[in-house]
Amino acid sequence: MATPDFSEPEELTARERRALESLIKRLADDEFVLAERYTEWQVRAPTLESDLALANNAQDELGHARLWYDVLGDLGYTERELVYERDPAEFRHSTLVELPFEDGDWADAVLRSYLYDVAEELRLEALEDSSSPTIANRVAKIQQEEGYHREHAQNWVERLAEGESNGGEGHKRLQAALDRLFPHALTLFESCAPPRGANDANDASGDKPRAAGSDVEADIVDLGLRTATLEELGEEWLAIVVPYLESLGLDVPESGQTGDGEFEFEVTQEMLPDERGRDGTHTDAWADLYDDFTHTYRELGRSEPTKIMEIPE
Amino acid sequence: MMDLDTVKERAGPREFSPADDLPREYREAATRMIEFHANSEIMGAYLERPFIRQSPSIDRKLAFSAKVQDEIGHGQLLYRAAESLGVKTREEMLDDLANGDGKFLNCFHYPLKSWVEVPMISFFVDGAAMRRQATLRRTSWEPYAHAMDKVCFEEGFHVKHGEDILKELMTGSRKEQQLTQGAFEEWWPRIIQFFGPTDDKSTHHDFAASVGLKQQSNDDLRNAFLDQYIPKARKYGLKIPDEPRIRERDDGTYAVEEDDLDWDEFFTIAKNEYEPGLGQINGRKQAQEAVDWVCETIEADAATARGHEPQAAD
Repeated sequence: MATPDFSEPEELTARERRALESLIKRLADDEFVLAERYTEWQVRAPTLESDLALANNAQDELGHARLWYDVLGDLGYTERELVYERDPAEFRHSTLVELPFEDGDWADAVLRSYLYDVAEELRLEALEDSSSPTIANRVAKIQQEEGYHREHAQNWVERLAEGESNGGEGHKRLQAALDRLFPHALTLFESCAPPRGANDANDASGDKPRAAGSDVEADIVDLGLRTATLEELGEEWLAIVVPYLESLGLDVPESGQTGDGEFEFEVTQEMLPDERGRDGTHTDAWADLYDDFTHTYRELGRSEPTKIMEIPE
Repeated sequence: MMDLDTVKERAGPREFSPADDLPREYREAATRMIEFHANSEIMGAYLERPFIRQSPSIDRKLAFSAKVQDEIGHGQLLYRAAESLGVKTREEMLDDLANGDGKFLNCFHYPLKSWVEVPMISFFVDGAAMRRQATLRRTSWEPYAHAMDKVCFEEGFHVKHGEDILKELMTGSRKEQQLTQGAFEEWWPRIIQFFGPTDDKSTHHDFAASVGLKQQSNDDLRNAFLDQYIPKARKYGLKIPDEPRIRERDDGTYAVEEDDLDWDEFFTIAKNEYEPGLGQINGRKQAQEAVDWVCETIEADAATARGHEPQAAD
C-alpha cells in the first residue's frame, strides 16, 4: 500500500481516514477517561503531596487528550462530536481506564497508573515515526510527561509492595488490584471496532456490515501510522510488567508467558473481561461516568463546549 | 522570651519569624488564624471538586482541576506557615478538621449543587478572599506573609477564570441567566458574610490587630469589596437582591445593613453545627479515613527503616 500524505487530510481516502480516526480515538479516549478517574483523587489522596502529584497527572492526561482530539479537528470533528455529544457506545477507551476506584483504594490508583503508563510509553515510541506528521510532532511533548508518571507510579507500587508493617496491607491490596485490573489491562492491546459512519463512507447503501476491527488495525500499521502491531506492543508490555510485578512478590494472572521465559502475546477470550472498551462494549461504570461529565452540558442545554485556550502547535 | 508589650510595639509587616521567641498568646492567635485559612482552602477544594468532572468543556475541566490543585497547594503552604509557630502539627490540624473541631470559612459550609453556583465561589468568594489576602501580605508573621505572595498570585487567575464562567453564563441562554441570577440571590448574603461579623461583634479582632496579624478590619474589607463587586455584578447583568439592604453613600461607596443578615445562621456555622456543613466535614473525614491505611503503612516503614520520625510521602 502506498504511503498516503497524512498532512493533507482532505486528500485522504475513506479507508485512510478510518484508520487515522480509529487510532486517534483509542489514544484520546484512553487519556480523557483516565484523567476523569484520576481527578477523583483530588482532595482525597493519602497526603497533600500525593494529592498534588495525582492532580498533575490528571491535567497532563487531559492535555494529551486535547492534543489528540485536536488531530481529529483536521478531519472536521469538533469537541461537541468527539466528547460531549458522542454516543457513549462510540468511545473506544480500554476498560482499564473506566473502572471506578473503591474508596481509599490507593493501591488500585498507583498500580493502574503503572500498568497504563508502561503501555503508554511503548505505544508512543511506536508513534515517533508515524506517517502522520501531526501525530509524530505531538509525541515528543507527551513522552516527556509520561516518563514522570511512570516513575511516580512505580515509586508508589514499590513502597506499598515492600511495606512489611501494618500487616502487609499494601501488598494485599496491590494483589487484589492486580487480580481485578490485569484482564482489563490486556484490553489495551485489543483492536478497535471502527467508528460508526466512518466505515461505510464508500458505500452509499449503508447496508454493508462494519469492517472488522482487525482490518482497520492492519491498515493502521500498513499505512505507517503506527510502526508496531498491537501484538508486538503487548509482548513488549508483558516482558516489562510481568517480571517487575513478580520481583515485588505479586502473582500475575494468566499472562501469555511461555515456559522458556519468553513472552508471546496470545490473549485468549477467557483471559479478557466481558467488556473490553475497544469494541464499544463498556462496564456500567462508564454509563455513570459519562452521565456525570456531560451533566452540566446537558443541564444548561449547551450546544458547544467552551474553548478558552489555544492548542500549542 | 519577648513580652507582649514588645510584640505590640514592634508589630509591623513581616516583623516576626521562627527565630523570635514569641509569647504563647501571639503564637496561638497566629496559629488559629492561619489554621482557619488553611482549613478553608481544603474545604473550598472539597466543595468544588465535583465540578472538575461536571465542567462543560475540556478546557474548563483543565482549568478547574488546576484550580482545585492550587487550593490544596495553598493549604499545604499555609499549614507549613502555621506549623512554624510550634503550637500544632499539620496532622493535628487535619485531624481536627476531620473531627469537626477545625474552623473554616462560612461559605464552604453550604452545598454547591450546580455549575451556575460555581462562579459564586470562584468569582465572588475568591474575589473577597483576594481582598483579604492582599492585606495579609503585610501580616506580622513572616512565613504567613510569604505564603500570601504565592497564594495571591495564583488566586488572581482563579478569579479571572471565575469571572469568565460568570460572563459566559450571563451571556448564555435565558435559562442560564435565570439560573445564575437565582444562584446569586441565594449566595449574595453569604458572600457578604464572608468578612465576618461587624467589628464590635468580632471576638478575635482586637488582639490580632494589636499584634499586627490582621491588617484591616472586617468592616473596611467588606465595604471595599462591595465598592468593587457591586458594579461588577451589575456589569454582567446580575440584579442585586433587595435584602440585605445596601446603602449607597454620597461618595458612591456602599454599606450593608447588618441587621438584614442572618447572624444566627452565621454563628451556627462558626460552631460547625450547620447541617450541610457537617455533611461536608464528615464527607471529607470519610475520605481521609479511607486512605489512613496508606499513611500507616509508609510511615511505619519509614520509621523502622530510618529509626527516626516519619516523613511525609509525596
